[in-house]
Amino acid sequence: MSVRSNVDKLVSVSVMGKIASPGFPGLPAEPYRLDADGKPFLLPTWGGIVYNVSVGDSVYGWMGDCVHPGVSISLDDDRGNRGLNIFACVGNTAMVMTGEAKGTRGIVTGKSGRFSEQVIIHFEKDIRTKMAIGDKVVVRAKGVGLQLDDHPTVKIKSCSPELIENLEVTSTDDGKLSVPVVGKVPAHLLGAGAGLTSEGGSLHIQTVDKEALSEAGLNDLRLGDVVALENFDSSWNHGFLRGAMGIGVVGQTDSPRAGYGPGVTVLMTATNEAIEPRITAGVNLKELFSITD
Amino acid sequence: MPLRTNENALVQMAVTGNISQPGLRYPGYVPDTEGNARILPGMAGIVYNARVGDAAFGWAADHLEPGVSIANPNQDAEFALHYLTCMGNKATITSGLAQGAEGIVTGEHARLLIDFPDDALELLCVGDSVQIMAEGRGIQFIDYPQIELKKCSPELINSMPIEAIDDKRIKVPVAIELPPRIMGSGAELNSEYVDQDLMSGDRELMADLGIDQMRLGDLIVIPDADHRYGRGYRKGAVTIALCIHGDSIMNGHGPGILALMSCPEPLIEWEITSEANIANYLNIRTDL
Repeated sequence: MSVRSNVDKLVSVSVMGKIASPGFPGLPAEPYRLDADGKPFLLPTWGGIVYNVSVGDSVYGWMGDCVHPGVSISLDDDRGNRGLNIFACVGNTAMVMTGEAKGTRGIVTGKSGRFSEQVIIHFEKDIRTKMAIGDKVVVRAKGVGLQLDDHPTVKIKSCSPELIENLEVTSTDDGKLSVPVVGKVPAHLLGAGAGLTSEGGSLHIQTVDKEALSEAGLNDLRLGDVVALENFDSSWNHGFLRGAMGIGVVGQTDSPRAGYGPGVTVLMTATNEAIEPRITAGVNLKELFSITD
Repeated sequence: MPLRTNENALVQMAVTGNISQPGLRYPGYVPDTEGNARILPGMAGIVYNARVGDAAFGWAADHLEPGVSIANPNQDAEFALHYLTCMGNKATITSGLAQGAEGIVTGEHARLLIDFPDDALELLCVGDSVQIMAEGRGIQFIDYPQIELKKCSPELINSMPIEAIDDKRIKVPVAIELPPRIMGSGAELNSEYVDQDLMSGDRELMADLGIDQMRLGDLIVIPDADHRYGRGYRKGAVTIALCIHGDSIMNGHGPGILALMSCPEPLIEWEITSEANIANYLNIRTDL
């Protein structure tokens, strides 16, 4: 590991979820959501087994609204689901425990927040075809409590030790944590998720203003990309603060809704410019974990 | 002269709720922006000493809801209370010692917020029922169809000194301008429901921009914010809003900003004036 940490003190614990069904509000509600111009749309959204969208694919262009690549799991019991959503870390191993795909392994690639609260897991595409909604999946959770010895002000969240290692984070000469990212998201393009918990869930990149998105250099994002979140402090909830910097991984696809867009699972945060993102092409979970379809 | 609206076509309809009791989830702590565990009052109940016109910042409180907070225990009726009530609507106490006392709707947060005069507050009991004559859903400017109005009663619109600039643009008085990058919690909700907090965690910025001088009831402008369908960033859009609740210690939170007008194009201009508070415009207070 390129930076020292307390990895040998971390507890590894099981958190279980079941493959979640997509859901819609009941009758007589309209099935439509509204895009940012008020136009109704009806598209696949979060949950379920998604057969043809994977980490490494573009976040843009899909006929969907915040679609989770691969498989989404959750637990009906709210407290248990909270345990799953908080303790599961990006890069943790997941194993299918029931059904035709039992015994196969996947990897946690993200989380979703308020109104869905699911954990997103990559399994190879041929495994997905054997799965059923309701199959039990156990995540071997490890990462909550992770601290970097030489960067005590950097808070690590939802991040497995393996991800820290594979990311090749380094210490700069002036004591900052240097983290490779594909791009930086300016604060005015961060939307839904602000004010909500930063220990799970997602913070969304706003994509309605295409020109602003282009100015920020964010129109080639892929699922699994690691990005920096400028002037945002996610120490306790997500909120605007100059000098703060977050690091996150893009977990779900784009959305036509105002305030929404690709969701980001926050991995690290620090105030006082303690994190220094370095722009590097291709920093993506697919390559970092040699994920195959 | 007030801008012309379709107010004669609006339906007046009763909705009702009960005065709420403050609640805490065990053990009651919430983390502030520094990570300190805090317990503070603010939401729900009868607040005896904070009204529209008072400061939005500086209270030993979290999400301070001025006046009286009401909710309906039936979920469908609760949504009707939220979606039909408009700012400036008249409310009447319909049970208890203060029965017959009249108030004015000044905000919509997790509950509806109503200002009552002090002598009525003295007599109110948690659980007392309050009925609102809801009016304002569907209100439009006849000559400015590009500008969407939200939760505005005819009384509020008619009381605000809004100027026609030309056949496309209007000018609205506001007390404070907010940068869009500090708009936070509430982005995840539909924009017909409650408010969006400004993020006050950068205290230096609040002071530098004078945002910490905001008062409950202030009219606010957010340039580059489109709140018509959801709440999001859009260059050139303009949203005019109302400060409905007080500051917060929580990261990503702060005073509650409820949209009153929104336009995706730059057709709303604004003029900064300390007069721009609904306590003035709706004659709620004469002591300011």
